[in-house]
Amino acid sequence: MRRRSEAYGDRVASRAVARNTARRASRPGALWGYVFGATIAATVYTYPKTFPTMASREALAAFSNNAAWAALFGPLYRLDTAAGYTAYKSGMFVMILAAIWGLLIATRLTRGEEDGGRWELYLSGQTTRGGAAMQAATGLGIGFVALWLPTALIAALGGALSTTNVSAGALVFFATAVVSAAAIFMAVGVLVAQLAPNRHDANLIGAAILAGSYLIRMMADSDSSLDWLRWLSPLGWIEETRPLTGSRSFAFLPIVAFTVVLVVVSVRIARGRDLGTSAFAERDAPRSRTLLLSGQAGLTLRLARPAVVAWVAALAATGFVFGLVAQAAGSALKGSPTLDRIMERLGGTAAGAISYLGFVFVVAAGLVAIAVAGQVAATRNEEASGHLDNLLVRPVSRWRWLSVRLAVGLGLCLLAGLFSGFAAWVGAATQHAGLGVDQLLKAGLNVVPPAVFILGVGGLAFGLWPRGAIGVAYGLVVWSFLVETVAAIVNSNHWLLDTSPLTHMAPVPATNPNWTAAAWLVGLGVLAALAGIAAFGRRDVVGA
Amino acid sequence: MADETAIRTQDFSKTFGTTRALVSLNLEVPQGEVIGYLGPNGAGKTTTIRLLLGLIRATTGRAEIFGVNCQENPVEAHRRLAYVPGEATLWPSLTGTETLHLLGRVQGTVDTAYRDVLLERFDFDPSKKVRTYSKGNRQKLILIAALMTRADLLLLDEPTSGLDPLMERAFRECVHESRERGQTVFLSSHILSEVEALCDRIAILRAGHLVEVGTLEQMRHLSALQVEAEFDGTVPDLTKVPGVTGVIVDGTRVRCHVTGSVEPLLAVLAQAGVHHLVSREPSLEELFLAHYGADGSEAPSDAPA
Repeated sequence: MRRRSEAYGDRVASRAVARNTARRASRPGALWGYVFGATIAATVYTYPKTFPTMASREALAAFSNNAAWAALFGPLYRLDTAAGYTAYKSGMFVMILAAIWGLLIATRLTRGEEDGGRWELYLSGQTTRGGAAMQAATGLGIGFVALWLPTALIAALGGALSTTNVSAGALVFFATAVVSAAAIFMAVGVLVAQLAPNRHDANLIGAAILAGSYLIRMMADSDSSLDWLRWLSPLGWIEETRPLTGSRSFAFLPIVAFTVVLVVVSVRIARGRDLGTSAFAERDAPRSRTLLLSGQAGLTLRLARPAVVAWVAALAATGFVFGLVAQAAGSALKGSPTLDRIMERLGGTAAGAISYLGFVFVVAAGLVAIAVAGQVAATRNEEASGHLDNLLVRPVSRWRWLSVRLAVGLGLCLLAGLFSGFAAWVGAATQHAGLGVDQLLKAGLNVVPPAVFILGVGGLAFGLWPRGAIGVAYGLVVWSFLVETVAAIVNSNHWLLDTSPLTHMAPVPATNPNWTAAAWLVGLGVLAALAGIAAFGRRDVVGA
Repeated sequence: MADETAIRTQDFSKTFGTTRALVSLNLEVPQGEVIGYLGPNGAGKTTTIRLLLGLIRATTGRAEIFGVNCQENPVEAHRRLAYVPGEATLWPSLTGTETLHLLGRVQGTVDTAYRDVLLERFDFDPSKKVRTYSKGNRQKLILIAALMTRADLLLLDEPTSGLDPLMERAFRECVHESRERGQTVFLSSHILSEVEALCDRIAILRAGHLVEVGTLEQMRHLSALQVEAEFDGTVPDLTKVPGVTGVIVDGTRVRCHVTGSVEPLLAVLAQAGVHHLVSREPSLEELFLAHYGADGSEAPSDAPA
């Protein structure tokens, strides 16, 4: 009898880990699933409207052989069809976001739980370290299903409702392929969670692996003689499935094998490792550096430094790639009536590299918006973790602290914008694109006003509704992306488009900045931030 | 220094939604006093301290720290106080040295010589990262950070949670030193022996209400004396004696409580031929438990259910 009850206890205990992980992964998973599904469905559905004539489709198809576009968006097959267009338009976007989400959720629910001391509770029950890791992986698998299901269903629905001939089956295959990036990087997250000394470092290692995968496939896609390289990158395997343009199931083999192997290895490591330790040792007694720690402002700078450096580097890399491919992409743009029309609607007239850059710098704006939402999250997390208490119980005023915190966010926007612009100029200069550094610095700075707006609204939410602040900031970013997707395909000046700060951006350097819109965005952002600072002074400090 | 009042609250209240966490607190703590703040979990001790720190907003009433309104002007009030929470949540990526440097700079004043004494006394190695410290070591770090400022008022919210008995002793030594220097100490604690050993006055909180405040002597005087007596012959009926309650008879022995004057009881005992008598003052624990009964969370009659 005794043995049976023990076995029962073990099963219940380990299932508790799986259940808890599944619950916490499924909710955001389903939410992102709706976003991804809607993105894909909107692309398929609006294709006939965006490219109504054969001529417009052929103009788009001219990009098929463009190395620069392939480097950015992946190999472009059958670009003159609805299927090919959908694959190009939403494939890479969904793939990268899914990969980032998979990585972050996996490290949060494994290493994050361990750092927070909650795994000790599980492991003091009858679960083993390896068992808990396995159960967490299972829970994440359920979270993946919660992501995949709405993505596939909504994508298929979009296809069924549209007048295109893209089949629901092909769209489900496409959805499966692109969100499999989440499964791969969940497995990467589970592994790095075992290797790194804490969640933060685990995220950094995971992000490096993701960046490496992206760069490898980028090289493979930009030069057909390097095709074989694609098999070295997990993101390359997804491209090899050729979703919507060939549907090659065998390319799922390395994806599944890689995911399974990583999980098995992780469970092995977990079994042999002491809780709270890591394979990569951390120096627990480093030299103390007190240079910045002379006050709350210095502390804020020091705490924000890793995120600021990472984002500025990422934006600089993005800008450099834009610059590098601008000349080639720009010459392809010349003489394409559809894209000319798009440029005209956006207010641009010039063609060539400058036109292309005006078109793609909105991507940089999106990245800076994500970075700034991260700053709002960091602000809230400083309060929720209780760390802020240590300052506020000393002679530090709330308004000063929040002002400095938001100023650091503003500094991040400015640095990221300037570096992306400068790096784009360097990239373009290597191709002799003949663009002035002032033009591209202006393009870089042009991405700042929408970010300032998001930062301000995030600050206001922090002041009024602290527990919702992170949701508001990221929600605004996600909303902007969705509106941006729609804006690219509808012609009208629908009021819905005005709700996204990104749509108010002029396509600099193809045009001059829209100073009025920029002033409005910055003005509203600053006002919202000031209101947030005032509100923070009047409310309770609230923990998690 | 002029005789000041360290803490003064008037009708200080806090309501969270429908929960009345603190109801109309009126408390004065003179400078130089060590006051113990007692109450079961959820009685409102931490709420009181967070209100005094201005971390949360009072629903009604006001409070002053050395004459400064601590809700309206927390920064000014914080210049003269130091706070130790029951659970240290420090920045995990900083080392102990960095943390002490930062918190000292933020506070503005640090007695560096005393800081070194404290590091020694608490046997604390500040060279490591906060995330590698045990709970007890984190608590030492935040204690040292507060004590090294020599602030006029120490607000301590269960400051010794996680400390071993040796460190607990070191902490008591620090409180004694602070008292000798004329610092005021507001000590919220569960450890009754600690409060008994350190505090001049004790305030007892129940379900958000201040139910008792005074010195231990005053409280003892007001509460029941425990008496145990053994008789040669039959045990007299003590239940009718004025002031006597809780009579338990066990053969020739009897136990009871006496409130107020003991004279009527002594008269009865002398007549009945008592041959062994023990009387004892209640410990703080008994006083404390008397206020809560078996169920510490029981609300007083004027509080909402």
